[in-house]
Amino acid sequence: MLVNRRTALKQVLVVSAGLALLPSCLRKPSPASISLKNIAVDAEGENMLAALADTLIPATSTPGAKDVKAHLFALTMVDDCMKKEDQQKFLTGMKAFSDLCQKKNGHSFEKSSPAERAALLKELEAADASKDDAAAFYRTVKQLTIYGYTTSEYYLTKVQVYELVPGRFHGSVPVKPASKRTA
Amino acid sequence: MANINKGAQDHTFDAIVIGSGISGGWAAKEFTEKGLKTLVLERGRDVKHLKDYPTTNKYPWEFPHRGQIPQAIQEEAPVVSRCYAFKEDAMHFFVKDKEHPYEQDKPFDWIRGYQVGGKSLLWARQTQRWSDFDFEGPARDGFAVDWPVRYADIAPWYSYVEKFVGISGNKDGIPNLPDGEFLPPLEMTAVEEYFKGFVAKNYKDRHVIYGRCAHLTEPQPIHIQQGRVQCQKRNLCQRGCPFGGYFSSNSSTLPWAEKTGNLTLRPFSVVHSIIYDEQKGKATGVRVVDTQTKETTEYYARVIFVNAAAINTNLILLNSTSNRFPNGLGNDSGVLGKYFAFHNYRGRISADYEGMPDLTTEGRSPTSAYIPRFRNVVKQETDFLRGYAAGFSTGRRSWNSHDGFGQTLKDHLFNEEMGNWWVGSHMMGETIPKEISQLTLDKTKKDEWGVPVIHVNLGYDDNDEKMLKDFYEQMTEMYTKAGFTNIRTEDSKQAPGLDIHEMGGARMGKDPKTSILNKWNQMHAVNNVFVTDGACMTSTSTQNPSLTYMALTARAVDYAVSQLKKGEI
Repeated sequence: MLVNRRTALKQVLVVSAGLALLPSCLRKPSPASISLKNIAVDAEGENMLAALADTLIPATSTPGAKDVKAHLFALTMVDDCMKKEDQQKFLTGMKAFSDLCQKKNGHSFEKSSPAERAALLKELEAADASKDDAAAFYRTVKQLTIYGYTTSEYYLTKVQVYELVPGRFHGSVPVKPASKRTA
Repeated sequence: MANINKGAQDHTFDAIVIGSGISGGWAAKEFTEKGLKTLVLERGRDVKHLKDYPTTNKYPWEFPHRGQIPQAIQEEAPVVSRCYAFKEDAMHFFVKDKEHPYEQDKPFDWIRGYQVGGKSLLWARQTQRWSDFDFEGPARDGFAVDWPVRYADIAPWYSYVEKFVGISGNKDGIPNLPDGEFLPPLEMTAVEEYFKGFVAKNYKDRHVIYGRCAHLTEPQPIHIQQGRVQCQKRNLCQRGCPFGGYFSSNSSTLPWAEKTGNLTLRPFSVVHSIIYDEQKGKATGVRVVDTQTKETTEYYARVIFVNAAAINTNLILLNSTSNRFPNGLGNDSGVLGKYFAFHNYRGRISADYEGMPDLTTEGRSPTSAYIPRFRNVVKQETDFLRGYAAGFSTGRRSWNSHDGFGQTLKDHLFNEEMGNWWVGSHMMGETIPKEISQLTLDKTKKDEWGVPVIHVNLGYDDNDEKMLKDFYEQMTEMYTKAGFTNIRTEDSKQAPGLDIHEMGGARMGKDPKTSILNKWNQMHAVNNVFVTDGACMTSTSTQNPSLTYMALTARAVDYAVSQLKKGEI
């Protein structure tokens, strides 16, 4: 193949420019899977949220929060529907949660064992969210995950069926004894 | 001002109706049915029934924020964001604050729907008649001016519009809330029935009734002809109803008018002012600014109905100046824009009911119970004037525990728990129209269509505060005696306007020296201009006002057409 000098030089330049960029590219975290306008949460943060959602409402014989993408709903709500200061609190809390996990378990929440995850959540359930950033973050994520899960297509078609067109209203009906549902 | 009229002929109609909301839609229907070529001007875009309800069949999970309005929009549009119906599923039917600025001399939340159909797409659909206890209010209690009409004048027109609209209700036989032409009511809840019985037994002049509402519980041939069918109890009315289950201009009056072949509907048309001809002593037409091209066009007609919704109707009249009327069209009395009023919706009271644990409700109800005014009805009995009606609703509380995490939490989310019945009520208080409560035009500021920006100066007074206190006291007593527990009162502290019942400014009256309109909603001073929306109201009473606007409109069109035929206007 005939390669003239000019082209060869150009290619070398392009390659070296690429090489020069490469380390910073590697350092740059990959973005979250949904586009976020206001908060800086990357793929790593998203994965942590997914693991947390999965721990809160796990997949069993029925789908869990992660399966219905409740963690992405939570992220969307924080990004679009929260005040700036609350978004800041959320991000601070997210870091505190991650650090706490690292400190307690020696690795990230995703890499924690089910027992390690449960121990951490148990501690945060008992903590005072008004004084503890990690606990405040946990409460917010829990609330939004539950909200996302219970308004998901799965939940509203298979668990509590939402009727778009009820076609009826009865003002006085006997309370039916509910049989326990398997979650 | 550029006049791009191609020819006066193309721009001449028999009647012009400014506005396509609940009263404008009625004017359009009545004029076109009577054979008049009618131009309806709407400042917003067109919204066609069925076609232009983009969210109507969406499930909750299809809304990215499950209904919540994003923070950025709330911060940019704080006024409309305070409206209960401004949610992700209907936000496209509301005017955002920046889209049409106004001046709040006192806090005032102006909620608007600029599109064909206006706020008739969004209204709460409550339709209670007035009685003579309402029409005689100002004369008896010495405020505003005497209404030039009485119940007997309006009753046949209530019946006329009710049959076409379709009103679900009970014949309750209450003198201060006359019965109408009713389709069957929906069921009240077990607790509403209980409270109704309790109140009837313990208070001789207080009633709890099923709230009359514009829903087709059993459609009649006249409704089927409109293409409307039975209300399916979706309670998603604010999105526009694919069944035409509730009444709106879009589902009912406008398509009806269109079928006559006499309707011309022109969206994107802001009315700048009404043209007054000094020689003829009449209004000859309107100046319209096209919101897309910003060009001004004139349209002409023999009769003009102003139905732009209370504030914009006042704005148009105040901005229609001439040598004859330097202070606004028909404003010889100087009262135009004054004696503006609203409904006091500040008071709320909620409670629990521990009784009837074995009963609950099923399906959804688009309405609730209603407590007609019981204060100062027959005679003055309190230290404040007039009174309040109240909405009353109940339901069985159910929830899922959020305790724990993992399997425990998931079990909770799959298994609902049932609590007590909840009980809730809100007041709808009559406010007194006062001279200082007024709308004025800014002397320099104009909006993007070259129309002066309007100032709203409206507030609560001592009478409103006393009434609020009485609502809490009376309802607390009734709740307590009925065995409701955990009673909580709340003052929403909302600004006037959020009730979306603004009224007055171009009031009806007997005397041209103190009012703008006569008993036919016709201007005293310009006999071919009529105002039949909220601006015409002499006083506010307590009822949701739309039904009265519709009845007044049909009556006024009937009169206007008879006068046109006689050559009187």
